[in-house]
Amino acid sequence: MFEIIEMIILLGVICTSVAAMLSKDLLVSVVLLAAMSLLLSLEFYILHAPDVAIAEAAIGAGLSTAIYIMAINKTDRWENENG
Amino acid sequence: MKMARVVTLALFFVFLLITSLAMRPFGKPSNTGMDDYFIQNGQAQTGSNNIVTSVVFDYRGMDTLGEATVLFAAASGVLLIFQRAVTGGKHE
Amino acid sequence: MNDVSLIVKVVAYILIVPVFIFGSYVILHGHLSPGGGFAGGAILATLVAMLVITFRDDFKENPHEIFSILECIGMIFFILLAFFGLSSSFFHNFLVNLNGLFGKPVHFGVNPGYLNTAGVIPLMNMAVGIEVFSALSLIVLMLSMRYGGERK
Repeated sequence: MFEIIEMIILLGVICTSVAAMLSKDLLVSVVLLAAMSLLLSLEFYILHAPDVAIAEAAIGAGLSTAIYIMAINKTDRWENENG
Repeated sequence: MKMARVVTLALFFVFLLITSLAMRPFGKPSNTGMDDYFIQNGQAQTGSNNIVTSVVFDYRGMDTLGEATVLFAAASGVLLIFQRAVTGGKHE
Repeated sequence: MNDVSLIVKVVAYILIVPVFIFGSYVILHGHLSPGGGFAGGAILATLVAMLVITFRDDFKENPHEIFSILECIGMIFFILLAFFGLSSSFFHNFLVNLNGLFGKPVHFGVNPGYLNTAGVIPLMNMAVGIEVFSALSLIVLMLSMRYGGERK
């Protein structure tokens, strides 16, 4: 039972990170990275490491998203074709 | 050129697959002496129910000191660099 | 600078108290339940990041000096607690099993979890929590503000 849930969560981690790489809208990439971090903290909780899960959810999904959004706010939202 | 990339990626994938099949079973470490000592004696010696906290703050306190020092140095560096933004580039 | 919508402001007003209570709980119960100084400090710093993003235009002054002082206080308190156990060794737990402050004896096995245990570990949790909270919110504050040269 738990193995099926783990497989679904790990597939979700891979899919969200690949989608974050391929997206042209950087705000969408940031939101997808936050979703990947949340799924990763769920995986840590299933592997009996709740300390790491709390720290990952707070830093990965909260703080780094805020810092990325500040950086996008100061630069450009759309990815440039010719660098 | 594109063929070489595909072949390299396939070889790397096969290598990762063989390695993951040859690993020891998940959740079974090779040496358990240290873990058994912490689990048996940690609660009576440090008085904390959370064994992870008793390891992080008591048995291996020096690691936590290093981690806090790294964070302190990072915040000091950010404050040093962005101080120009507060004063507008002028020295006080 | 574009202004923040009303929905974000109302949700931020609602979320201030629960997030603050959850972060304080994670720091103060670090020796009984999962969490500790690092995780609780990161949760409180998330609250500061939310406030900075929402109410950035209402600030007149950048309050970074308070966080700088708090960071130094947490770090000094942590190292001082480590030095107090120097009668036997660095980082020696000198308060445990003494029936004094945080000194209730605990035996091996299942217990309901008393708050008055674990010696010097809760004090170190508080020190590291204050230090991590003020360091991370200092970084967020300094990264979020406008430059002096941008205003002209």
